[in-house]
Amino acid sequence: MTASAPATAPAAGPATAPASGPATAPSLMSVFVRLKLSLLTNGLRQSTGRTAAFVASAVLALLVAAGQLIGLALLRGTASAASLTVLLIAVVALGWAFLPLFFPSGDETLDPTRLVMLPLRPGPMVASLLVASLLGIGPLFTLCLVTGAALAVAHGAAGAAAAVVAVPLALLVCVALARAVAAANIRLLTSRKGRDLAVLSGLVIAVGVQLVSFAVQRLGQAGGLAALDPAAAVLRWIPPASALGAVDSASSGAYGAAAVQLALSAGALAGLLYGWQRSLTRLMTAPDGSTLAAASEPTRRDRPTGLHRMLPGGRTGTVMQRSLRYVWRDPKTKMAWVSALVVGLIVPLFNALQGTGSIYFACFASGMLGVQMYNQFGQDTSAFWMVAQTIASPRDAFCELRARALALLLITLPYTVLVTAATAAVLGDWRALPEALGIALGLLGALMATGAVASARFPYSIPQDSAYKNVAPGQGGLAWISIFGGMIASAVLCSPLIALTIWLNAASADSAIWVLLPLGAGYGALLVWGGLRLAAPQTAARLPEILAAVSKG
Amino acid sequence: MPDQASEQVSDEVPDQVSDEVPDQASGPVSGVPGDVPDRTAGEVPDRRVNAVDGAPEAAPSAVRVEGLWKRFGTQVAVAGVDLTLPTGKFIGLVGPNGAGKTTTLSMITGLLRPDQGRIEVAGHDVWKDPAQVKARIGVLPEGLRLFERLSGGELLSYTGRLRGLPGEEVDRRAAQLLEVLDLSGARHKLVVDYSTGMRKKIGLAAALLHNPQVLFLDEPFEGVDPVSAQSIRGVLERYTASGATVVFSSHVMELVESLCDWVAVMAAGRIRAQGPLSEVRGAAGSLQDAFLELVGAHGRDAGEALDWLGGGAR
Repeated sequence: MTASAPATAPAAGPATAPASGPATAPSLMSVFVRLKLSLLTNGLRQSTGRTAAFVASAVLALLVAAGQLIGLALLRGTASAASLTVLLIAVVALGWAFLPLFFPSGDETLDPTRLVMLPLRPGPMVASLLVASLLGIGPLFTLCLVTGAALAVAHGAAGAAAAVVAVPLALLVCVALARAVAAANIRLLTSRKGRDLAVLSGLVIAVGVQLVSFAVQRLGQAGGLAALDPAAAVLRWIPPASALGAVDSASSGAYGAAAVQLALSAGALAGLLYGWQRSLTRLMTAPDGSTLAAASEPTRRDRPTGLHRMLPGGRTGTVMQRSLRYVWRDPKTKMAWVSALVVGLIVPLFNALQGTGSIYFACFASGMLGVQMYNQFGQDTSAFWMVAQTIASPRDAFCELRARALALLLITLPYTVLVTAATAAVLGDWRALPEALGIALGLLGALMATGAVASARFPYSIPQDSAYKNVAPGQGGLAWISIFGGMIASAVLCSPLIALTIWLNAASADSAIWVLLPLGAGYGALLVWGGLRLAAPQTAARLPEILAAVSKG
Repeated sequence: MPDQASEQVSDEVPDQVSDEVPDQASGPVSGVPGDVPDRTAGEVPDRRVNAVDGAPEAAPSAVRVEGLWKRFGTQVAVAGVDLTLPTGKFIGLVGPNGAGKTTTLSMITGLLRPDQGRIEVAGHDVWKDPAQVKARIGVLPEGLRLFERLSGGELLSYTGRLRGLPGEEVDRRAAQLLEVLDLSGARHKLVVDYSTGMRKKIGLAAALLHNPQVLFLDEPFEGVDPVSAQSIRGVLERYTASGATVVFSSHVMELVESLCDWVAVMAAGRIRAQGPLSEVRGAAGSLQDAFLELVGAHGRDAGEALDWLGGGAR
């Protein structure tokens, strides 16, 4: 480790402080690993509820991973095992590249802006950060998957030998990919102007999700797993899937191909590390983008927007206006909204265009948008104190939450109608429009109701200073559980509506089916009202706790 | 909005004197002369009402805190604070970093729930009667954000309307505050692009918008340039001159000495002394000296400990 070299120098001089610890400084790698572990444990130490949430999400992730591992191992020997594993690893790598940018990760050790003042050389730093990044649930999950994939395809001594190299290699490529993409994007994401562009990455996810679902649907169609073979034939040469391709090649005696595939993965790892290192060096030596931007920030025109006048007066209009301004101006909020809008549109429409969809896919739009009601106060960050100072009773809290719900509905309601109608148009299934719209509106209401309650009960921080994080360290489990718990609760709330739809359809009561539209809309409105009523007293009673939860990180 | 003058009368009669003697048992206080407050004649108008039930003139103290405790895990941040702050004064809460000033102010302003203790602001219990208290106080916390994606003007307009003030009144007051605080030129700029001094000023404007009776400012001058500091000072002095109360925390003694007429000294989660500035300062030459003595930091020297520091290469 080159970084430790200067630290040993003082020992040669006239050392007058014998009690100052060991002569050699600890290696950078162990420092980073310990830092990562401390951050993980400190994040957990702050509250027992959060520890429970973290442990629960870890157990869940590991159970899924174990299931995958066993499932993959069972694939061993089947014809399409090779294709499936290669595809799986490619999808996992895609996830590693993009998910850390948008979803809870909370890894402070990889934020280079915190390391700027330390005398670190990029080489050792990259290596240490990479090792530190291997600690966590995500990498463990990936390790299980990759191991399972290797178990499924490795045959014979050569296959086993290739697998021993391939598994760590694939894992390292995934982790390095995540870090390299994040580092390359941080300048973009931290500069005020650049953050507006970052929403484009939301589109990447939307398209990525769509490709996956497309692939899954292709699977379901006639060809079965064999349909994967053409894609797999290409992917087995693309890192990190090529590492698994190498295991397969080695198992079938194609040693030359195996060597090339392993070399491709190794080369990709080296390339990613080099790219990451270059981004880090650039980040740490060039002035911060936000400084440059702030100096030349133009002032805004005081345009009296038409919207402003159309909003109701009092607290309702004030809060709605602020919420809507934030959708446009706050990069984190904007990113969440653009991804939700785009994904909500793409999923039902693409499926409809492929001719495989159903009009009920339009519920995806209301689902994606309803989730925006979750963690309302976390979106305020610690500026929530300004809201808390003006909430003195459950009535105030109700007005605040209702205004936020109204601001949300101002966008989601027409959007849901539009997407559902567009899906019906593409499918030509106008008959089902009323019931689909009814269910979509009911679902929207259920999500907003549970979202209001979750906002009061399970608030968490959305760190603003780092583009890497959407949840403060240690709160990730809490965030996921609040959203998934809310989704399950929403599904339960919607079940009467769905049951009624099924019953009416089964009874072929065509003339009565239009009832589902007003019924769904009314039911959704009732749910929103009930959720707000339930959440308001809890919000009013928990103001200091909410403020504490959203001020972390 | 409550008018300041009309709110001064309350049925609560504080028995000031018994609460005034700080920290009965703790050592450092006894070292300060003039420990017993209530000596400066004419300084404290509400002082004479000692247990006179129903006295019409009985103005409640601006803030009364009894037995306030807050622990974070094993660390005790505030360890039994008793504090009585008079109305209409410029009050400084001083103490070293980590003394518990921010924690105490957060609990008084309802932003942090105390483990134990009773807090009254303007005669109303902060935790039992938040509606009365929140309408009467203005807050500028330290280390919390503002809604920074709003412009300065929009932030004031938002805050004022959230406080329930009529729109035209909010705009009128906001324009004046922006003018006095020298922010008019930046009113259309997003707060996220503001400098530290500008942030403190816009925060102060937001806290003053509803004309509170008591204003709580946590480190209002921290990181603020002299020009901004002067305009903040001007607004605050004018505000207290009208009979309102300002409570602000700081660790810059010269500033507190030049601004305040009442001081509370905090260290290690407890109040070490409180009273009019002259009494807390006592025989010590300056507040700085009195403070160092109170917190027991006098004569502390690095000694041998830093003998490696300086003198070229390591």
